[in-house]
Amino acid sequence: MKQLHILLFSISLLVSSTVYSQQKQDSIVIKQKYGIRLGVDLSKPIISIFEDGTKGLGLVGDIRVLRNYYAAFEMGFDEKTTNEDYLNFTTKGSYIKAGFNYNAYKNWAGMNNEIYVGVRYGLSFFNQTLNSYTPNVKGTYFIPTTFEPNTEFNDLTAQWVEFLFGMKVETFNNLYLGVSVSFNNMINTEEPENFKNLYVPGFNRVFLNNAGVGFNYTLSYLIPIIKKNN
Amino acid sequence: MKKFIVLIIVSILAFSGCEKDDICIEATTPNLIIRFYNNDIPAEIKAVTSLTVWADGKENQYASQTLDSIVIPLDLANNNTLYRLSTATLEDQINFTYTRKDVFVSRSCGYKTIFENLQIESNTTNWVKNISINNSTIDNETAAHITIFH
Repeated sequence: MKQLHILLFSISLLVSSTVYSQQKQDSIVIKQKYGIRLGVDLSKPIISIFEDGTKGLGLVGDIRVLRNYYAAFEMGFDEKTTNEDYLNFTTKGSYIKAGFNYNAYKNWAGMNNEIYVGVRYGLSFFNQTLNSYTPNVKGTYFIPTTFEPNTEFNDLTAQWVEFLFGMKVETFNNLYLGVSVSFNNMINTEEPENFKNLYVPGFNRVFLNNAGVGFNYTLSYLIPIIKKNN
Repeated sequence: MKKFIVLIIVSILAFSGCEKDDICIEATTPNLIIRFYNNDIPAEIKAVTSLTVWADGKENQYASQTLDSIVIPLDLANNNTLYRLSTATLEDQINFTYTRKDVFVSRSCGYKTIFENLQIESNTTNWVKNISINNSTIDNETAAHITIFH
């Protein structure tokens, strides 16, 4: 009886050790790709088809710095004619943004998707043209007059901070589709005289409290440079 | 994950203060305010009975009313506006001249026009005895800009 117990015990040790060693053999090391990802904002050309007086191009890119951290940059230009009740103006200019993304998504082995949060600093150089305006008068005793001054306000700048939230999905090998929403907060703008920066390229519509919202839909390609275990 | 939550909270805070700026609530182009005083006792307000007011070539602003003050718009297409003020029997005309200045207000309100260097280029004195300009800049509607003594 005692001998049987010893036998069973040694068998169980043997079995457990073989299982353990087998597990070790099974685990495959999946290397993480590090590289530069470059892409284009697809939302801008789509919007320009449906909205008159809107033109724009946006390029996005990021570099994976650490496993979950990406240095991100964006640049582009916008041309937009805004029509308000008493105003019509055109904004034209370019922007650059830089910051980082933190990927909060825990991928399964072999997957490279992201659900991220990020911060950006934005800088824009632009011109505003006041195409026309109608002075706001209560009542219509005199026929309202519309003026077309075509006043140009040149060399305007704006700086802001964005907090963004988005995701990227690897659809084909190294090809990513991404979507993000950003909440923008103006730091400072060089305001035109007797007018206001109501639209800023890269920032979009400037709301009353100097806040803004951004949205983009990107298609980007990862150029892998190195592969690391971590 | 902690950072993630912090960032979400910050972004919500950054965005929560949004206001609707589609409705114009600010003051826009001001009207000209005229008060009527007694010519014999200049400190005393004196209402005009059966007063009709209209701009030259336009419909009536006021028709046969008893008023001690009137609020009338100025023409933005010209640098002068000719107003006709008539009582039951007599009619007077006042030609206001001014320079216009358009001041930006907001997205929803656009521009308002303020009037500077308000002057009375000419006037008749059938029932109006005297006119004084209290404020030659019309940029608000808080007080009378013109006093008419009759």
